[in-house]
Formats: sequence, C-alpha cells, structure tokens
Amino acid sequence: MLKFIGRRLLQMAFLFVLFLTILFFLLQAQPGDISSQFVGNPEIPPEAKEILRERLGLNESLWGQYTTFIINFFKLDFGVSFTEYPREVSDILLSRLPRTVVLFLTATLLAYWMGFATGKLVAWRRNTKLEHVVTVTGIFLYTVFYPWFAIMMLWIFAANLGWFPVGKFITPSVWNNAPFEANQVFNRMIVVAVLFALFVGVVWYLTRRIGDLDRRKWLRRGIAAGGLVVVAFYWMGSDMRTYAADIAHHTVLPVVTLALVFFAQITLLTRSSMLETLREDYILTARAKGIPERVVRDRHAARNALLPVTTSFVLALAAVIGGGIVTESIFSWPGIGLALLNAVLVEDIPLAIGGLALIGLLSLVGHLIVDILYTFLDPRIRYS
Amino acid sequence: MADQPSNVDSPPSEQPESPDIGIVVEDIELTRGQIIRTRLKLAWRSFRKNWSLFAENKIGIVGLGIIAIFGLMAIAHPILMATVWSDKKDIYDPVIGTDAVIVEKVVVVEVTDPETQLTLQEAQLEGELFASPGDIVEIPLAPAPPSRDHLLGTDPLGRDILSQLMFGARAAFTLGIVAALVTTVLATLVGSVAAYHGGLVDTWLMRQADLILLMPLLPLLIVVAAFYQVGLIGLALILGILGGLGGTAIILKSQALAVKVKPFIDAARVAGGSSRHIILRHVVPNVLPLSFLYMMFEVTAAILTEATLSFFGLLDIEMSWGIMINTAHTQGYTLSGLGTWWLLLPAGLAVTFMGFAFFLVGRAADEVVNPRLRAR
Amino acid sequence: MTSPSASADTLLGTDNILEVDDLTMYYKTRGGYVKAVEDITFDLGKQTALGLVGESGCGKTSVAMSLMGLLPGNAEINKGSIRLDGDELVGLTREELRERRWRDIAMVFQGAMNAWNPVYTVGDQIREAIRYHWEPAPSVEVANARIAELFELVGLAPAMLERYPHEFSGGMRQRAVIAMALSCDPKLIIADEPTTALDVIVQEQILKELKKIQDDLGMAIIYISHDIAVIAEVTEQIGIMYAGRLVELGPTPEVFADPRHPYGLLLLRSTPSIKGPRRKLAPLVGEPADLVNPPPGCRFHPRCPLAEERCAQETPVMEEVSPGHQVACFYWERTAELDIEGV
Ligand SMILES: Nc1ncnc2c1ncn2[C@@H]1O[C@H](COP(=O)(O)OP(=O)(O)OP(=O)(O)O)[C@@H](O)[C@H]1O
Ligand SMILES: [Mg+2]
Repeated sequence: MLKFIGRRLLQMAFLFVLFLTILFFLLQAQPGDISSQFVGNPEIPPEAKEILRERLGLNESLWGQYTTFIINFFKLDFGVSFTEYPREVSDILLSRLPRTVVLFLTATLLAYWMGFATGKLVAWRRNTKLEHVVTVTGIFLYTVFYPWFAIMMLWIFAANLGWFPVGKFITPSVWNNAPFEANQVFNRMIVVAVLFALFVGVVWYLTRRIGDLDRRKWLRRGIAAGGLVVVAFYWMGSDMRTYAADIAHHTVLPVVTLALVFFAQITLLTRSSMLETLREDYILTARAKGIPERVVRDRHAARNALLPVTTSFVLALAAVIGGGIVTESIFSWPGIGLALLNAVLVEDIPLAIGGLALIGLLSLVGHLIVDILYTFLDPRIRYS
Repeated sequence: MADQPSNVDSPPSEQPESPDIGIVVEDIELTRGQIIRTRLKLAWRSFRKNWSLFAENKIGIVGLGIIAIFGLMAIAHPILMATVWSDKKDIYDPVIGTDAVIVEKVVVVEVTDPETQLTLQEAQLEGELFASPGDIVEIPLAPAPPSRDHLLGTDPLGRDILSQLMFGARAAFTLGIVAALVTTVLATLVGSVAAYHGGLVDTWLMRQADLILLMPLLPLLIVVAAFYQVGLIGLALILGILGGLGGTAIILKSQALAVKVKPFIDAARVAGGSSRHIILRHVVPNVLPLSFLYMMFEVTAAILTEATLSFFGLLDIEMSWGIMINTAHTQGYTLSGLGTWWLLLPAGLAVTFMGFAFFLVGRAADEVVNPRLRAR
Repeated sequence: MTSPSASADTLLGTDNILEVDDLTMYYKTRGGYVKAVEDITFDLGKQTALGLVGESGCGKTSVAMSLMGLLPGNAEINKGSIRLDGDELVGLTREELRERRWRDIAMVFQGAMNAWNPVYTVGDQIREAIRYHWEPAPSVEVANARIAELFELVGLAPAMLERYPHEFSGGMRQRAVIAMALSCDPKLIIADEPTTALDVIVQEQILKELKKIQDDLGMAIIYISHDIAVIAEVTEQIGIMYAGRLVELGPTPEVFADPRHPYGLLLLRSTPSIKGPRRKLAPLVGEPADLVNPPPGCRFHPRCPLAEERCAQETPVMEEVSPGHQVACFYWERTAELDIEGV
C-alpha cells in the first residue's frame, strides 16, 4: 500500500517535470525573453530587469535556464508579476488558491454525490420514462456550451430572480469598514468545514462495527445532525457572521452551476457502469440470498459501479478544470483561473505561467488523491 | 475534455469481422480491379449490417438529423452569399458586413417606452448633438431585433446573425472534423504500434498518453493562444494532439491488443509480412470501427473547446459561434436576457446542439461497436 | 430412498418437500416467446436428491430460477404450480418470494467463481444472508460463530471468514458458497452445475462433501448438470430434460443403467466420462431444438433415430414404465435396440 503510494508519487513528480518542460519550451519559443516585457512598463525600474534575469537564470546557458526554471517551480518561486509589480506571483496565486480549491472541491463533491445517486436510480429503473428523461437531460447538460450555460444561470438566478448576487466574491457595501479581511473569514469557513468533515469521518469509522444497519444509519445521521447544529451555533455566536454569510451567498451560484454540468457527466457514467455491474453474477447471488432489493442495489450493485466511476475522474478532471476557469470568469470569482485569464489578456507572462503550473500541479494532486481513494474502495488492490 | 463512452477498461468482446483478404488475394492473383471490387463489396456489406443496427437506435438518427441540418446551413452559406446576398455583401458578410437598422425615436425627458423614446443624453451619444426634447431623431439600431432583412436580427456591430450562424457552422465542422481526424489517426497508429510491439515501445508511448491525459487542456490552450496567433486549423491540430489523444490511444491500444492475438495476425507473420505491413493492413483495419466511434466524441470535445476559447476572445478566428457569444458578452449584453435573445440564444444553442448531435451519434455507434451495451 | 409413485405422494401430501405440477414458463423476447420450460411435473421427497440433466440451453437453469422466484422481468410463468412444503409459490408477491428465498430454498450457482462480490469479505456476505433471514437477527459474533461452524463443515479454515473473495481459490470459493447456502438451514438447495468450473478432483471432493452434509443435515437437493455421470453417485432420482420438457424421470441407478428415452440413452452415450462404466461413444446428431419455434409433437423427433410420423403430430406424455420410472416417448420399448446398435 505504502509502496503503491510511493510509486504513484514518483510517477506524478515525473509527469510534473515533463509538464514543466513543456511550459519551458513554450516560453522559449516565444519571441524575446520574459524580461524584455519589462521595458515598456513605466512602473518597473530598469534595475529590476537585471535582478529578474539573474533570478530566472536568463544569463546562463539553455540548460542552466532550464534547470533554474524547474528548480524555481519546486521552490514555488514563479517570479514577479508584471501587472502587480512588485508582488510575487506565488503570493498572488496562493492568496487565490483557497477560493479555487473550494469552488472546485464543493462542486466536485456535490456533483459526485448527486450524480451517483441519480445514475444509480436510473440504471435500476432501466427503460422507464424516468431513465429516458434523465439520460437525455444528462447528455444535454453534458454537451451544453458551458460559458453560455453559465451566463444563462447567472441571468436567470441572479439578474432575473435576484436570488443570488451577480458574480464576485463579496458585496463591497457589506465589507465597508469590516474588521476582517475577506480571506480571513473565508479561511475560517474552510477550517470549520474541514473540522466538521473530520468529525463526520471519525464518527463513521467508529460506528462501522455496529451490526444492526438501521441503528447504525440513524446513529450516524443523528450525530452528524448534532454536529451541524453545533456548527450553526458557532457561526451565530461569531462576529464574522454577516461576512461569512455574504461570502457563502456568493459561493452558491458558481458552485451549483459548475456542479450541474459535472453532475450530468457523473450521472451518465454511473448509469452505464451500473448497467454493467447489474449483469454480474454476484448480483444474482445477492438477489438469491433474499435480501431486500434496495440492499442489492445500494450495497452490491452501486458499490461496485462506484469503482469505474472513480477511475473516470481522471478523465473528467481536465474538463472540470476547464469548467472551473469558465466559471471563475463568468462569475468574476477571484480564483486562479481568473488570474490566469487576466494575466494572459495583459500578457503578464510570469503570472500566466505560474498559474498554469499551479493548475497542473492541482490536477496531479487531484489525480493522486483519487488513486489513493481507489485503493481503499477496491480490496483487490488494497491487499496486493 | 476527453469524453469517454461507457466502457473504458475492457475492449468489446465481439470483434468486427476482418475485412482482410490480403493473403488469399496474393495466391489467386486476382487483378487489381477485382481486388478493389471485392473489398468494396465487403465494405458495403458490413456497412449495411452496421447501418441497420445503428438505425434501430432512435438517438443516433436524431443526432444525424441535427448534423444534417447544420451541414445544410454550412453549405447554404456560400451559395447564399453568391446568389441572394451577392449584391449586399457589405450587409450580409458575417465578419465585415454591417447594416444599422434605422429607427425613429422621440426625444423625451423621461423615457416611458424605450422602444420609441430616448433621453436627450442618449440622443447626444448617438450623434444627434442638436436634438431637443420633442424632436424625432433617426437612430441606427444595433443590435437590432429580427426583421425581414435580418431574420435573426443583428449583433451589436450591426452584422447579420443568421449569416454568422451559418458561417459558424462551417467553422465548427472544419474544426471538429480536422481535430477528430488528427486524434483518431494518431491514436489508432499509436495504439496499434504500442500493442503490436509491446515492451519498451509500448511503455514509452503509453507514458506520453498519460501525460496528455493529465494535461489541463483549457488552461494550457489559454496560455498558448495568448503567446501565439492560433487560427482555426492551428487550433484543430493542437486539439487533435492534446485533446482526446491520451484517452483514445489507451483504449484503442487495448482493442489492438485483442486483435493482435487473433490467428490471422500470426498467419500474416508466418507469410512473411513486415511489421509495418501487418500493422497497417491487419491491425489498423480491425481497430477502425472503434476509432470511428471515438472520433464522434472527439468532434464534440473539439467544438466545445474552440467555442470556449473564442468566447474568451483568444483565438485568431474571423467568426465562429463562440465569437458571436464573445461579441455579445464584451459589448455588455451578457445579462440583457430576453430583451436581446437573438444575441446569445442562437449561437449558444448552435454550439450545444452540434456537440449534442455528435455525442448522440457516438453513443448510437457505441451500441453497434459494443454489443454488450445493446438493450436486449 | 423415498420415492414411490407420484400419485400416492400427492394423496398423502406429507412426504414431499417439493411438488412441481405442469410448470410452464416462457421468456418474452423480440423474436417471440422462448418456450424454456413446458409442462414440467415432478415431486421431490424430503431429504432426497434429484438430478436434472440435459444439453446446454434446454432450460435447466430456467426451472431452477422458477423455483427460486428469481426470474428476470421478461419471464412469465404461464401455468402450473410449485408447492414447497405444501405452500404454493406461484403467484406470491416479490416480497413474499424474497423472504422465502435462502430461508427455504438456497442455491449454488452455475459459474459461482464470480458469485462473490469482490469488495466485501466472504464472512460479510454470508452474514448478510443471515441478517435478513434469522429471526431475530443475531449479533455479528453469533453469526460469525455459525459461519465458522459451516466453514469447518465444508472444509474451510474458519479464519478465512474475514478474507476477500479474491484471496480464495476457485474450489474454496465454491465451498464458501455452499457454506453460505447452508447458513439459513434451507429445506431445499438447488445446485446449478456447482462444479463445472473446477478441476475433476476438486469437483468430486465437493460433491462428496455435499452428499455428506445432506446426510447430516437432511435437506433436499436438486443437482443440475449436463453430465449424468457427475451426479449419478449423489442423487436418488434423475430427470432428463430436452428442449424445455422433462422426457424421463426415474430412480438414478435405473435411469443410469437403462435409460428408456432415446434422448436419455443418446445423451448418456455421447458424454465421455471418467466416471461410470466405459462405453463406446455414440454421437448425438443434429442441432438442439429452437425454443422459439420448437418442433411440433415430440420436440426430439427431428433428431430421434426411432421417430415415426406420429412423433411429429402428437406430444407424448409421461408414462410409467416401471415403478417410479416415467418416460415421455411413444416407442420407449424400442429404445434398447438403439443401445445394441450403438455399442
Ligand atoms: N432472460 C432470458 N430471456 C430470454 N431467453 C432466455 C433468458 N434466459 C434464458 N433464455 C433462453 O432460455 C433457454 C434455456 O436457458 P437455460 O439457461 O435455462 O438453459 P440451461 O439448460 O441452464 O443451459 P446451460 O446448461 O447452458 O446452463 C435458452 O435457449 C436461453 O437462450
Ligand atoms: Mg444453466
């Protein structure tokens, strides 16, 4: 198991270096070098150019430049932003990282959870109206032109119905004279959410040996609900309350929009995976055992259908990242994707390359997490 | 944005019949004409069989229907430009044509009906510097709602939406098909070579496939498009390589592996066929049906990616559906909603339906190629 | 051996665990109805073992599935009755059938290699059956104790209980399946080709153990196989099926030594077997009958060396040829001629 993870980590590191190599050549093939961009910018003192050349190793040979480039990335040194000079690129990116990760994670989890439940149901009810409606809607959502879809969502739920704010991360008027930074509040929200998730995880683990399934289910639900109440009370008593609410309010629409498209994909995948699983011999055994159909569906069929769906995450990852960038752009969500887009439009090369590298890193990390998760889901891999 | 149909890890159990008659042919010394005729006949027969399977599935037919409609649009555009619109090129050209519909509005102090009235400031902004309340001014209207001259209205720059839409269909077809062809040809070759040779060649090729598979495509394209001038064909080539190549190559390899162990491959080897000959003449033809299937999904992915990049305004393309939306977006009509529906709706739906159609065809083809998926 | 004539049994209504009458089941498909089970009638005494044999595709599994109440959505039981211990099963709701399954009838499947869900331990999966059928549901410890007992009975180390299926060999998996089948003390176990995928030695071991378990625990067993020889040693009665119909039913030694239906004879002679007496092989010519459009009259007549005109017009019914031995053939008395020619 540890060996497996170690090997995976090595592979990932190798892939990341390859990816960086591609970025390096992308930069090299570009006319002029990075520092020449500095010339026209009045805000940047000329001596900064020399410092930068030094830092990027531009005075060295091609090989030297390459190694400096790679090593700098592992030191999280992406250089200095042109547009926000003299801010470090890593500083800009890291301050935006939580927002992107939250958007991405919540949308992914939501989509997986809902998509899996839906896909499971429609496969179980094969050849019913429900299945056809869900499948066609799913294909439509899956092939929908996402920027257009996001605009429509924004128009309907924000501009028209007014349920949610029209994009952005915070409402400036609420934050006038606020005693906190937006990031401070947001980080607190993340910490609380992570603690709650850990709590639920521990409860799940501790209750796993309870034989009576109904009791176990209600015990777990009860404790989780209790935890939720505690969290709610925490926020009620906190002086960050209004600010947290404002951020949460801004988060809903982009997350739901991104999740919807991904949800469609997971639904379709689960459906076909489940249809395959339902043909397996062990499903027949489970039925023959005379256990309730619901148990056959959830505990036997769906549990196995989950395996290919999890694997397919690798394939979906690139799409979700793309979707994330579009979402950030349309909802003016100040994450890494938006930073990348803006950097590209104003030709802030260090920021663009840094953003791209970080996104690449994130996708590799996502891939690694899924790989590890998979080993927990499939005992055939766990014990070999 | 590799899009994968249902079964990723297992090659279909049923092999398509081999169209291979090569060995027999050499023995009997048929004439070239006869060989070609026999091949055609076999191809036709297998096409007929597969077509009847395909046609059983309604969704495939619906998909083909939608594609046909877009195809007609793409073909009709140059014809219309040469005939009906020929003397009005300056109006109907999708890129440089412009036609401001002139409307008369009354200058008022307070607007109660924006269709017929406007304020003094608005009038001045439109160039009527000497207008005063109560005057009737002629205002060029862009975007203009649908009218007899412009069935789908005009965009914020006064260009005909219908003409753009039809032109965009052509762009979408070109891009989608070129990208899908590149991916499919490369993936088929890579998959076949990797499967046939195995060993180091296999490892080397498959690691590259992994790399492509994990590449965050859209961010990378955003950066590439910013550094270089990327046109339609350029993008098609890039998408062909970086798009679905990774996933497709891996799947096609597993199919090729299944073909590799068939007896006719051994027969060909014994008969002294070179690796190249065997791969091209025996392995590849048997992987082709599955390749074709993945091509359909590639088209969808390519069209969606192009439209997204165009939407960000990053491509060096004259006109496409994505650019139509980008125009509306950058000119501030993003949230104007139903008031200017012709700006966002036709282009958005066009991209969506085009992707939808190819996806449907792909799924229907999937059921032909993978018998296990068929509803019994 | 408790199998006097069928009619006497029905009158008394006590000695039989299972009574199947005129069972007819079709699958609805696009090409028409697959007449997979037609007019099957047999009784099974308590603690007896019946073997059901026939070519592949003749409907053996379909009979088993009908008994289990496990038919797929496109299957319909058109007529007939299945009485288990006196209770009618045909017409029960899905839920009622579900409750009875495994508690009353358990099954060991054809292709049991894949009968285990790969993501749960074997113990977990057996406990699941116990949890839904024991009244009241026992604690994990009690269930485990019972499973450990059963494991010993089928020759598995009780420690294997917490292992995953992929850690079991084929034979071990099949033993575990048998343990699972025993977990709720069923009155009847259906073993559908329980050993087909195993090598001959393991096959024999497992059948012997099953026989011993049956003697100890006293349930009835229906063995399904396409090889008479395999199950001859462990059954008291054998039924031979052809194209959805039962064509011969009788005491095992008699059927095995002296089959009266031409199909029974040819089937016996056509299967090479390392068990049983050495015989010359006689080929069974022709294709198995098409079950969508079965031949009229006797379904076997197109392949039958004894067929006469009558066979294509009338459907022969079961007639008793010796006590407890029934055959559905007009010319069963001439079957023996075939044997002489064949040898
Ligand atoms: N779900 C189904 N739908 C339609 N036809 C079916 C279905 N299941 C089985 N059949 C058909 O019913 C017939 C009997 O099948 P069955 O599985 O009962 O045969 P079998 O005697 O068990 O064969 P084998 O020895 O190969 O297991 C076959 O012709 C089969 O094709
Ligand atoms: Mg069977």
